[in-house]
Amino acid sequence: MSTVAVKPPVPARASKKKTGQGGGIGRYLLVRFLLIFPTIFILVSMVFWLMRTTGDPITAALGGRLGPDQLAERVHAAGYDRPILVQYFEYLGQVLTGNFGTTISTNRPVTEVLLTYGSATAELVFYALIVAFIVGIPLGLVAAYWRDKAPDAVLRVLAILWYATPVFFAGLLLKLVFSVWLKVLPVAGRATTGSELQMQLLPNKTGIYLIDALQIGDPAVVQDVLLHAVLPALALGLLTAGVFLRLVRTNVIGTLGTDYVDAARSRGVHEFRLVSKHAYRPALIPIITVIGLQIALLLGGAVLTETVFEWKGLGFQLIEFIKARDFVAVQGIVALLAVIVALSNFIVDIIAALIDPRVRY
Amino acid sequence: MTEFDSASMHSPKAPLWSRLPVVHQLRQSVGLQRGMLVAGLVITGIFILTAIFAPLLAPYGYSQLRGDDGPFGAQQEPGGDHLFGTTAGGYDVLSRVIWGSQTAIIVMVIAVVLSIFAGVALGLVSGYFGGWLDRVLVVICDAVYAFPSLLLAIVMGIVLSGGQSSLFYGILAAAISITVVFIPQYFRVIRAETVRIKAEAYVESARVLGASNGRIMFRHVLRNATRTLPLIFTLNASEALLTLAGLGFIGFGIEPSSAAEWGYDLNKAISDVTSGIWWTSLFPGLAIVLVVLGVTLVGESLNDLADPRLRSRRAPGKTSAAPVAPAPVREPAGRIEPSGIYGSISAPRVRPDGLESTS
Amino acid sequence: MTSAFTNGKRALAATAGFAVAALVLSGCASGGTTPDAAGGAITIGTTDKITSLDPAGSYDNGSFAVQTQVFPFLMSSPYGTSSVEPDIATAAEFTSPNEYTVTLKPDLKWANGNDLTASDVKFSFDRQQTIASDTGPSSLLGNLESTDVVDDLTVVFNLINGNDQIFSQILSSPAGVIVDEDSLSATEITPDADIVDANAFAGQYALTSYNFNNLLAYKAYEGYQGLLGPAKTDVINVKYYADASNLKLEVQEGGIDVAWRSLSATDIDDLRGNDNVKVVDGPGGETRYITFNFDSQPFGATTADADPAKALAVRQAVANIVDRAEIADQVYKGTYTPLYSFVPAGMSGATESLKGLYGDGEGGPDIDKAAALLEAAGVTEPVELNLQYSNDHYGPSSGDEYALIKDQLEATDLFTVNLQTTEWVQYSKDRVEDVYPLYQLGWFPDYSDADNYLSPFFKTENFLDNHFADANVDAQIVEQSVTTDPAAREALLMEIQDEVAAALSTLPLLQGAQVAITGTDISGTKDTLDTSFKFRYGALVKG
Repeated sequence: MSTVAVKPPVPARASKKKTGQGGGIGRYLLVRFLLIFPTIFILVSMVFWLMRTTGDPITAALGGRLGPDQLAERVHAAGYDRPILVQYFEYLGQVLTGNFGTTISTNRPVTEVLLTYGSATAELVFYALIVAFIVGIPLGLVAAYWRDKAPDAVLRVLAILWYATPVFFAGLLLKLVFSVWLKVLPVAGRATTGSELQMQLLPNKTGIYLIDALQIGDPAVVQDVLLHAVLPALALGLLTAGVFLRLVRTNVIGTLGTDYVDAARSRGVHEFRLVSKHAYRPALIPIITVIGLQIALLLGGAVLTETVFEWKGLGFQLIEFIKARDFVAVQGIVALLAVIVALSNFIVDIIAALIDPRVRY
Repeated sequence: MTEFDSASMHSPKAPLWSRLPVVHQLRQSVGLQRGMLVAGLVITGIFILTAIFAPLLAPYGYSQLRGDDGPFGAQQEPGGDHLFGTTAGGYDVLSRVIWGSQTAIIVMVIAVVLSIFAGVALGLVSGYFGGWLDRVLVVICDAVYAFPSLLLAIVMGIVLSGGQSSLFYGILAAAISITVVFIPQYFRVIRAETVRIKAEAYVESARVLGASNGRIMFRHVLRNATRTLPLIFTLNASEALLTLAGLGFIGFGIEPSSAAEWGYDLNKAISDVTSGIWWTSLFPGLAIVLVVLGVTLVGESLNDLADPRLRSRRAPGKTSAAPVAPAPVREPAGRIEPSGIYGSISAPRVRPDGLESTS
Repeated sequence: MTSAFTNGKRALAATAGFAVAALVLSGCASGGTTPDAAGGAITIGTTDKITSLDPAGSYDNGSFAVQTQVFPFLMSSPYGTSSVEPDIATAAEFTSPNEYTVTLKPDLKWANGNDLTASDVKFSFDRQQTIASDTGPSSLLGNLESTDVVDDLTVVFNLINGNDQIFSQILSSPAGVIVDEDSLSATEITPDADIVDANAFAGQYALTSYNFNNLLAYKAYEGYQGLLGPAKTDVINVKYYADASNLKLEVQEGGIDVAWRSLSATDIDDLRGNDNVKVVDGPGGETRYITFNFDSQPFGATTADADPAKALAVRQAVANIVDRAEIADQVYKGTYTPLYSFVPAGMSGATESLKGLYGDGEGGPDIDKAAALLEAAGVTEPVELNLQYSNDHYGPSSGDEYALIKDQLEATDLFTVNLQTTEWVQYSKDRVEDVYPLYQLGWFPDYSDADNYLSPFFKTENFLDNHFADANVDAQIVEQSVTTDPAAREALLMEIQDEVAAALSTLPLLQGAQVAITGTDISGTKDTLDTSFKFRYGALVKG
């Protein structure tokens, strides 16, 4: 029966499933793998149609400078006035051959755009996940331990507040407190000019600043990079931390009621130990699956954080490209996001299936 | 124990009003859980009342720039005629905040209503009939679900309105883009429940008795499949508000002379904050935070109360009022707990549930 | 799973330690910024955006700001003026009405060692015309028929219309950038990276590091022999910001030395009171105006109740009512100033035509005059105006600006205003399809000459496409462009402004000032904030 994977596998009474109904794990994985392709196809097509109905990049760039005749001439020269189906199939052909083209608004290869901004986003997401772990999991345990007591209530309200505060508002407050009043953290960006210039000169730079800074080997540069990451990581990470907090709390409370924990309790195991050891472990499985989803959604969802903190990543760039109606670039970025999302869903499913055979039905 | 929702059916003898969704849960709750629910309800209530009575409460119109004695002036400090001060554009902040609740509630209602109808209908049909239609819908919903909602909102907004940010189009763009993102969630929940319920004995018997598909779907399946909806409902509502605010921040907000919108005001106030003018951003910001907090508190509490494992137990001796038989801990399939709360910016919404379940 | 999990935990712990270490270290760092690498180097912050380094592929302020620093021009204006003089040339003049001859300075080199000769010049103009990119400035070269190389130092431009007085200005515009024929493609837009790798620069600066729209590093080019003289600062770094409030915070906190374009009015106002920074104002070339569509405006040519006299009365009434000073003060806090003609103040040939014609004669509004005009034309009911503005193209304050205009118009009871905003791309389409009766536009000049504020707008075939046509204005615009005597040309330019001011094809509202915020140790900013509207980094000095 289809249950949500995000739930403790242990409540035994809950799931009387017929294992092995749909064939072995091999078949399951194959089906899951093949599903990656339609997902990507749907997203890429969706973006194509949405973007093409909203205008062309030439008008976006020069609508305030040129008259209608000149604009029409240029639109025609670029081929944007051809039948849209023709353009659609042409585009699908290009995607199939792995040719993402050159951005219209900035004249750069899309693959280069994906690499540059993708690595920035990946770095931010990585930091945010760390914050989410460090904050979310312990606090979730605390909330579960003092369930329905004051600490639980405070933490839960806090988690909701993190979610309820628009990230640009929170980011602004963080900047005011730490950068302007306390002057301990930089305002925005990913590194100071000096550090960035040094990294720019590296022969094999990765675009992931922490790695590049380590390559340089200067502790000051590493420190600089990490300092710049603190506020954006907090802003984005706390959002996710709220998810983790809630997840851990719910699942630990769930597993606390199971036979296996009951057995431990009856052996006289202390309640704190029950929470931190016995109930925690099984509760982690759903968390692992959620992380996969988090990564996917953080990638696309870091838009506002990136804008607030000048973190020049994919989400931020995507908005710029949408405004410029640069459909080549937008389609490229969305295709990448689609691949990542589909892949991480796939990986999560594999992990879930490996851990708990019942997931496979 | 049949499949009837314990939440609405467990004590048929109780008076009708106490069986109403929220009232019932309120009675059922104890301690902190009741506190959270009550707090959420109070905040939400104030919000709704403010929206309804905005014309009476607001001292000025949302687009009013001058009073009886000339223009208000820009960035006036709080006090005097302007309790919350005025904005960089010369609007009265208090009035904009109050009027903004109207815009917010309209977006929430449209978004929720649209996505419930579309999502539930699709989920029901998909789950009930199964087959390739079901598979296609599942894949499409998974794909849409994976698309960053804010970006979807921007593009949808442009497509829908042709880029016009009048009141009508601005609201519709936010609401519809939220709808598009939320349909997969309702779809999943309803579909999974439908698949489960379809296999139950009483549905089988209805079929044997010759009931039509439509009748089975709506009489038997839908009634039982909808019990997790209130929770998604609240998530959906707060998500709608946050997306509206996000659109305002990125510059796709609603034009200030056609409606008051908190996200727009907050965006315009950003350079004020760095210049020490705090009142233009604080109040609309707080309004967003409070409304989302209130609605989410209600949603979380309802979720806890619907889940026997999470429900606070009453002190021994009062248990007679406790729900009948929490024993069948059959998880409502597609429950959006525990990850669902945290919306578009980062949230894993409903997990994609088993794709093979119809095979 | 267990072991994997333990590993994960360990890695987590390690990273956590890292993050904590960073936070602890932060306590020791002062001000949150580390000092610049080289002494005297200046860091500039901007919200500009580059689209392409290649001049054939860009036609926007952000890209031109970079090209101005690193590429040579035949003509340029010295610091402080807008009139152009030969830059890397010794002479530039009409040798016959249709031949404009430029003689280069001898022994010019590109930073990569290639010779900079007349052949590069021909190459640069030919490729502009060949590529004629979607997003390039080739339309500025409409009057250029062909380019001929006479010898290594001499190049002749063959013009279609003789005695073109604008051509010398065109040579200093985005279409006049000279590039290296050995490094750039003759037929395609060359990727930025290739240009940087080839070191194909010969302006005051050369780019040494190029992180697109994020961080650019410039170093003074020693071989530069142009008009402006060697750069005063050796190393310039430019950081690109997406959000103006971040730029403001950075300059306020000393993270950058100069903030150039574009801070919000509130930010600038706030920084004026801050002792750690200087606010440097310069004349502005940017204009903001309302365009009237002569067909679809109230009583316009294609409306049901078409009446040219009433239509004119409506335009004039609006012109009498708008209070520019109130907008400039309340919305823009002095970063924009009232504009009373089509050519901005400070430019040679600028008038204040509208000041005398409309309002109280002092620049303020005159509502009685507006009412009288409408009444005289037979307009008795309040006129409904559909006013459009773009919320995302002309800065974040457009919304406030137009709300105030609506308020001003409605307060007179002569008008009811439906204010609407549309996202830029749709806006650009709609406005030329006569969808908008009255709408906002702005202009930033391609070159610094009054002509650039007149001929694109008021010739019969104009980019506004608002159905304004006046044979007399047409003739005068053509005439001024071939009038060689400067005084006579200026008189013509003023005459054109007076005529258009009476007909009101557009209603000029505001003129943007150039504002740079610098640290207190930066000097020379004032020198480059001139009516050429080019911000030359070479003028800046730190310390």
